[in-house]
This record gives sequence, structure tokens and C-alpha cells, in this order.
Amino acid sequence: MLDGFIDGPQVKPVDEEGIKVIEKQPIKSSDQRRKDEAAIRTVGIRKSFGHLQALRGVDLELRSREILALVGDNGAGKSTLAKIICGAYTKDSGDLYLWGEKIDVQSIQHAYSLGVYTVYQDLSLAPDLTVADNLFLGREILLPGLRGRLGMLDRQRMRAETREALAHIGIGLKSFGALTRALSGGERQALAVARAVTWAKTALLMDEPTASLGVHQSAIVYKTMRGAADHGLAVMVISHDIPRMLQVADQIAVMRQGIVVETMRARDATLQKVISLMLAGKGGNDEQ
Amino acid sequence: MNNDPISQIQVSQKHVSSIEVRDESRALKVIKSTTFWILVVVVVMVVAFGVLTPNHVFFLPSTLLTVAFNGSQMMIVAVGMAYLLGAGELDLSVGTNIILSSTLAAKALKAFAGTPEQIMRGEYTHLTAGIIVGVLVAILSGSLFGLLNGLIVTRLRINSFIATLGTMMMYWGTALVLSQGAAEVGIPRALQTGFGHKKLLGIVPLPLLVAVAIGLILWVIIATTRFGLHTLAIGSSKESARRSGIDIDAHRLKLFILLGGLAGLAGLFDLVRFATTNPAGHQTDALLAITAAVLGGTSMWGGIAAIGGAMLGTLIPVILQTGLVIMEIGAFYQLIGTGILLIGAVYMDQRKRGRDAEA
Repeated sequence: MLDGFIDGPQVKPVDEEGIKVIEKQPIKSSDQRRKDEAAIRTVGIRKSFGHLQALRGVDLELRSREILALVGDNGAGKSTLAKIICGAYTKDSGDLYLWGEKIDVQSIQHAYSLGVYTVYQDLSLAPDLTVADNLFLGREILLPGLRGRLGMLDRQRMRAETREALAHIGIGLKSFGALTRALSGGERQALAVARAVTWAKTALLMDEPTASLGVHQSAIVYKTMRGAADHGLAVMVISHDIPRMLQVADQIAVMRQGIVVETMRARDATLQKVISLMLAGKGGNDEQ
Repeated sequence: MNNDPISQIQVSQKHVSSIEVRDESRALKVIKSTTFWILVVVVVMVVAFGVLTPNHVFFLPSTLLTVAFNGSQMMIVAVGMAYLLGAGELDLSVGTNIILSSTLAAKALKAFAGTPEQIMRGEYTHLTAGIIVGVLVAILSGSLFGLLNGLIVTRLRINSFIATLGTMMMYWGTALVLSQGAAEVGIPRALQTGFGHKKLLGIVPLPLLVAVAIGLILWVIIATTRFGLHTLAIGSSKESARRSGIDIDAHRLKLFILLGGLAGLAGLFDLVRFATTNPAGHQTDALLAITAAVLGGTSMWGGIAAIGGAMLGTLIPVILQTGLVIMEIGAFYQLIGTGILLIGAVYMDQRKRGRDAEA
């Protein structure tokens, strides 16, 4: 079913602004149906926590090569939906499709195996590990031969590949042996994004990825996001920064009270319309 | 609205090298490590006692080897404890695990080595079989108790401090019930002559060699393997490790089994060195092992396990005790000295973490 998957990080030359991106192996031409299928599609997803109905039937499509910004007020259900897609929560009902095939994501690990990766609001890095160890945690490169069979790590290769992967998204490190604890909060977030971009094969989910970042580091993250989409990933980003989402996203999906009230192309959206949908569930006039 | 919004985001080349982490030289890293400073403390203590002791007997290689030999049993437990602490857990039951494992091993050894009457007469008709069974029982029973600790922590979700505080009492109680509080007698002297008191080339005690070999193997594992990386990842951030696909419960279970097995092996050291068990001793072994590990640079908060440091940390109380005895000062002062060093080591660790967080 997933035979056309893109694999592992590959090197691509710098783009016009000097920022490299992670290149994925191209989607196989034989898998034409992917051009038409959504990478991820949710149909009528429902989720309750006790008496609280967090999701009341969510229909949404994440398409390959597109950035979808999921916006909505607090409590609209954005994070719950992301957690269902990434396997952190199980849905009560509704269907989830990956490339048109119905799947039940059992766990975060299952989602990883399907190529769906998430950057969390709270950082998912181990502060006492080096940058390279963090990037490869769970997917370590082992030495060849007997030493590899004994589980010995090829740290030289891990560091070299980390150097390349980070360079592609505009992060240069002088020392890859440095502990992640020594990085600033923003730098760690950039590393977390780099890690997700490196390993995601189908979709990249980001929950407020730039909340703790400065202007320039946010710009790097958005650049990374676009690079990931350009190379075949479906990117979903949850953000309260609607003006910026209107700039960087291809699609805007507005959630309110547990449902997606409208999905529109970003170029057709206005700030006022999105806010009206968020607050009242219906679009205002299109004058900004 | 601009049709090419991404192009509006200016990420100039000057921001490409936005993360500038000081690239410390290897020498600087070594000097800043707690393990280095604990080595300095050990060397200073040896030199001080060497100068102060009558006839400078502390400088004699035989004295130093005896010190290391006396620390060998604790060394084995301390390196295992460093792993567990590195993964953010601890095991208070290792001391009573040693007592129970050695009691079971002694009973099994005797049961296989000959009849009770033969054992009483000091005759061992199946000595080799008895020793093999004894060694296996010590290590396997120790591992089993480690497994039980791990299951309580990972399945019942009980904090490892409480879980192993409970099993500490359970294991001790079981050992006392089995032994009626008495040390096992009738252990073949061949264990002492053939191993416990035997020296390689007549110089290095074999138990010390075993302890150092285990330390080296565990150091290689923590420093170079996936198992070691996962251990520290779990200690550093359980959530991060879980999200990376590491089965943290299975891994922690392995670590508890590892320390349990090492405690079983340490229990065997009682038999090979003293030809008896010590049901009244070992109650403070867990705390001493934690002390040794933390002194050596292992973090109480997980994420850092210093194996070489744990081995050096084991030596500090032994050096203090031996030196004070030779100088005819009360050996109890070693407790005060060790306590001060422990607090100092943790203080340094906290300061270092604080500095790193601010960097």
C-alpha cells in the first residue's frame, strides 16, 4: 500500500536564498493515484473527553505538497485533531485515510511508521543528549559488521548527516558534540523542527512551532515548512498567528467548536473572514 | 496579497549560522567533567595518606591494590546503579538483593556439592557442579529480583524509590526467614583459594579484575551503543524517548534486571571472599552505590551516567577508611568525609546544569 513512500534524508543544493532543504526521493511516477488522493483525509472524526465533545465530526484533507494552516480559537479542537492524526489519541468514531486507504493509527510509533511526524508545542528533545544523538534518537545509524550487530553507533556518520540536515534548514552548528541543553529555547525548537522534517515521509504536523521563536528563527521554520511541502510532504500547522498563516499556507482550515467550519485557499482568504469564521462560524465580508 | 509570500520571508545568509555553540576542546571537556575532579580527589587523598601514614605505607602498591580489592564488590553495584540513575530511576533493594541472592546461592551450592553430612565434614563430592549451580543461582536470582523491581515500577506504575524500598524489606525478610538470621557456613574454601583470594600473576586480585572488566564493558556500552543512548535518553526526557519510538518500559525493565544480576554477582563475592554470607550487612549498600555513582558524576536527575566516575567514587570511602585506620584515627570519620564530598559533588552538578541552562 505504501510502496511509493519517500525515504530518508537526502542532500539538495542550496536554493536561491542560500537555505538548503531536505530533499526526499521523488514520488514514484507509477503511483499516479497519489496526485489525486489526499495524503491524509479525515471523515467525521469525533472525540469526547467525558462529557466534553472536543471533536464533533471533523472532515479535513491534507494534500501532498501543500501547507494547511489549522486555525481556531482556544478549545476549538485543533490540537485534539492533530493528536488523533499522529496517534497520541484514539478517535471515538469517524475514519482516517492515508493515500485513500482507511487506517487506524494505533500509536505515535505507528504514525511514525506511516511517515506522519509531529513537532510538539512542548519540545520533544532530550536535553542531556548531543544535537546529533537527538536528531537520530530512535533511528540511530549503526556501524557496519559485528560492531553494528552489537548495537554500536556510527556517531561520525550521525554527526555528518546532522550537519547536512541542519545546514539545509539554515542552522549551522560549530559543535555537534554539544549538549542540546546548551541551546536556547528557540534553537531547540529549530532542532525539533529539523528532526521532524528529516524523518517525516508523508505528513508533518506542527502545533504552534514558532511560539517560542524570534523573528529570524520563525522565518527559518516557515522556510523549512515550505521546503518540506515542496518535496512532497503534506504539512499541517496549527497557529494563532493568522496573518502569517495567510502568508505561508496554501490552505486555511478554520475550526470552531469541534468541527471544521470552512476550508479555503489562503489566497482567497482574508483576516476578517477567518476571524469571523473562528468566532461566529460564518465568514464576514471580504473587506480587510 | 503577495502571490509569493514565502519570498517575503527574509532569511539572510548571516542567519544561517544562527546557533553558535562553543566548540570545547577535548581537554577542556575532560577538565570540566565531574569524573576528572573525582579522580583528582582520589589522587590527592592517596598522596595525602601516603605522606601522612607511618612509613608511607599507603604508597605501597600492595596497599593500593588492597584498597581497590576492598572496593570491588561495591564497584559492581555502583556501575549498575549509575545506569539506573542515568535512566532516571534508582534501586534501594540492591543491598538486600545481595543478601538474598548469596543466601540462595550458598544453599544451592551446598545442596549440589554433597550431602549435608559430607558438607559438615568439609567433603564436597560434586564441588564443580555445586559451584556452577551456585554461580548461576546467584546471578539468576539477583536478575529475577531486579525483574520484580522493574515490573513493579513499569507495570504497577509505582515510583522506583517506593517500589524498591518495599522490595528492599521483602528481600531482606525473605533472606532472614531462609537463613534464620545466621550466616551460611560450610561454603567450600576452594572458592577462596581458587578465586576470591587468587591473584593474577600474584599481583592483581581476581575479584578486582572481574569488577574492572564489568566496569569497562558497561562503560563501552553506555558510551558507544544504542542501548546506552536509549538509557540516557530515557533519563533525560522520558517523553522525548517515548516519542522517538523507544519502548521505555521494556528498556527500564532491562536496566533493573541488569542491576539485579550485578547485585547477584556481588552476592557471590561474599562467598568467594569470605566463604560465608552476611545477612546482617549490606543494608546501606544501595545508598553507598548511589553515593559512589553521584560522586563520580552520574546525575540524580537522569540523563548522565559516569561509569568510570562511579568506579572511582566507590574507592573514596574505602581510601578514607583504610587511611584513617592506618593513621590510627577513628574509621568512622570516613562517613563524615564521604558525606561532605557527596554534597559537594551534587552541588557542583547542580551549578553546572544551571550554567548550561543559562548558556
